[in-house]
Amino acid sequence: MNEQLSPILIVEDRLTDLDLTKRAFARQRLLNPIQEARDGEQALAYIKRWEAGEPPPVFILLDLGLPKIDGLEVLRQLKSHPISAGIPVIVLTTSAEDHDIQEAYRLGCNSYIVKPVEFSRFMEVASQVEVYWCALNISPQIYENSVRRG
Amino acid sequence: MKPHALSLRVRLTFAVVELLLVVCVVCLVMPGVYAQAVGPKRLLVLYWDNKDFPGNVRFEESFKAQLQLDRREDVEYYAEYFEVSRFPAEKHALSFRDYLKAKYAGRTVDVVVASADAPLYFLLQHRSDLFPTTPIVFVAHNPPQPEMLAPWPGVTGIHYKNAYRETLDLAIRLHPHTKRVFVVSGTPQQDHRFEKDAQQELSGFEKVEITYLTDLPLNELIAKTKSLPANSLILYVWQQSLNEQGKLLESYEVLSRIAPESSAPIYGFGTLALGSGIVGGFLQGPEMNGAKAARLADRILNGTQVREIPVEQAQRVPMFDWRQLRHWGILEGSLPPDSVVRFKEFTLWQLYKWRIVGVITVVALQTAFIIVLLVERRKRHRAREALDRLNAELEERIAGRTAALNAKSRELETFAYSVAHDLKAPLRGIDGYSRLLLEDHAPELNDEGRSFLQTINASTEEMSQLIDDLLEYSRLERREFKQDRIELGQLIATIVDQKSRETSIDFIVNVNGGSVVADPNGLTQSLRNYLDNAVKFTEKVAQPRIEVGSNETLKNFVIWVRDNGVGFDMKYHDRIFNIFQRLNPSEEYPGTGIGLAIVRKAMERMGGRAWGESQPGQGATFYLEIPK
Repeated sequence: MNEQLSPILIVEDRLTDLDLTKRAFARQRLLNPIQEARDGEQALAYIKRWEAGEPPPVFILLDLGLPKIDGLEVLRQLKSHPISAGIPVIVLTTSAEDHDIQEAYRLGCNSYIVKPVEFSRFMEVASQVEVYWCALNISPQIYENSVRRG
Repeated sequence: MKPHALSLRVRLTFAVVELLLVVCVVCLVMPGVYAQAVGPKRLLVLYWDNKDFPGNVRFEESFKAQLQLDRREDVEYYAEYFEVSRFPAEKHALSFRDYLKAKYAGRTVDVVVASADAPLYFLLQHRSDLFPTTPIVFVAHNPPQPEMLAPWPGVTGIHYKNAYRETLDLAIRLHPHTKRVFVVSGTPQQDHRFEKDAQQELSGFEKVEITYLTDLPLNELIAKTKSLPANSLILYVWQQSLNEQGKLLESYEVLSRIAPESSAPIYGFGTLALGSGIVGGFLQGPEMNGAKAARLADRILNGTQVREIPVEQAQRVPMFDWRQLRHWGILEGSLPPDSVVRFKEFTLWQLYKWRIVGVITVVALQTAFIIVLLVERRKRHRAREALDRLNAELEERIAGRTAALNAKSRELETFAYSVAHDLKAPLRGIDGYSRLLLEDHAPELNDEGRSFLQTINASTEEMSQLIDDLLEYSRLERREFKQDRIELGQLIATIVDQKSRETSIDFIVNVNGGSVVADPNGLTQSLRNYLDNAVKFTEKVAQPRIEVGSNETLKNFVIWVRDNGVGFDMKYHDRIFNIFQRLNPSEEYPGTGIGLAIVRKAMERMGGRAWGESQPGQGATFYLEIPK
């Protein structure tokens, strides 16, 4: 069952944030493999891999302030591509601006979370994300996998 | 002696009888005398031509005017017309005599006037039959010899003469280059009376060559006068002619036929000719003679003896026709003094000079006024244009500056926003890793190391709060404010309810309700900050008490939050509403110094006001004023 787990894609340019996120998930005993993208370009490069047959992620954690291609643009392209349109995208960013929130939802993000500064709260967020998106929520991929297995 | 005595007695008797007879006669005659004395005086004028002849008309007019006959109650005026031109035969005169004799039988005429030679000689000839006891006043060219004038009842009058010599002198003076003079006269009956006079008066006149055009038929006369040699003059004496149909044309009528085509200026002697083509001359005429004759008649009517009234010379006046003067280029200034100029054609200017001047003045004044008004209007228009231009430029400049300012302000906000966001990321790192260190590596650290890590955590938290408040403050400036109707009672209850969960303090709410139009987030934030402050500054009070209330004025709603906390000195009032300003050390009352600045900014953006009232140690009251 372990080798069958779908990955989680984290799009984050800041190394400390990436590291802290990974640690937070690790503390939650999250077993899904973690995939990383450090800028917009790398994030969009995954589309080709999914098309080639790699398993798409359970969800994508997307930061907005990204080098090369902006996070909102990455979101737009992900949501407009058939292979990735169904993947839940959780925007995790420091910005709590109205504009960013509305634009992200308009482009089809599935959740919008403001990154807390305090590590304790960050842990809480990671925990809830994991519980919700990996355990409670049924995404098309999970549904497909379970049918295939079942 | 006896016969003497007898004769004396007889004489006396005769005398008495005579006296009685005289008395009787007087008594018999008196009524007649009396009647004659009170009856009207009678004046008869015998005209030589018909009633419509202009000479007669003018004579009659001036005669009657002189005597004021229209107004006189005591004079009866009679007019008879001899018409000798039309009825020249002796038999006509006789039948006219008989007619007058019969007509005036039994009627006393007091004065009889003969307006010309013909009626005068007719009267003299038939005096025994016609008005034998009536004095005669005449106007004549050839008056009777003095011996004929003397016998009772007497004859007097006016002797008129044409001023041939005088007039020719005058004409030559006005036309100095004159070489030839043509004298026109004649009648169909070849009456040469006037011509003879003229010849007599002009004989020996050597300055010019004088030619007499006597008794020429009308067409010949016209042809002749049309082509006279240069430097000629015409003296028009008296000319009657028959026209093509055989009608007798009077002298003035003949004149009006020849004058228009005449090649030389014409001078005349009678006023009747003036206006029919003569330039002028020393003129006599019925107007003057009529008035003069009337004066003589009046004297006789008033009882003056005729023998005492000598024959007078007719008046001669230099008179001219203005149109002829102009035609022949004669200046009025060259005429003799006291000249009368008739038929003057007044120009419009001469007739209406003052009216024209008046109208022009009024029009000119109006025009000037209108021009002044137009100029004023134009000036004002230009001034307004200049002002508009200036305003437009000013507005443009202001718009430009506003745009620049807005851009600057946006830039600053973006800057603040970016700084705030980017500050948070490393903070997360610091907090995250110091926590991890504390949690995962606690056994490896001593107490001091752990306390350092806790200080790092606290500082991080404080920094994070500061950044959040700054972000909030900068967001207030940028975000759009809504205009929602808010129920105050409900809003305040909700906020107080949330706050009371965080603290043990009991809030006293005293809000009557009512609604305002405002931005819900801004209002909520402001109220929450007030409550946070109230809670914070009552922490050290034994019995904290926080009151929330509202009251309503005509235009505004005022919400207040009152506490019994530490309060503040009013001299710091303005400072506490400024950003980063604090009155207490942060370890005593933690805070970023941004809360009240956020309240003030939010209220400003809603068109409201925020202020506080306090005394140190006496608690504080903070107010929010929101327009309705």
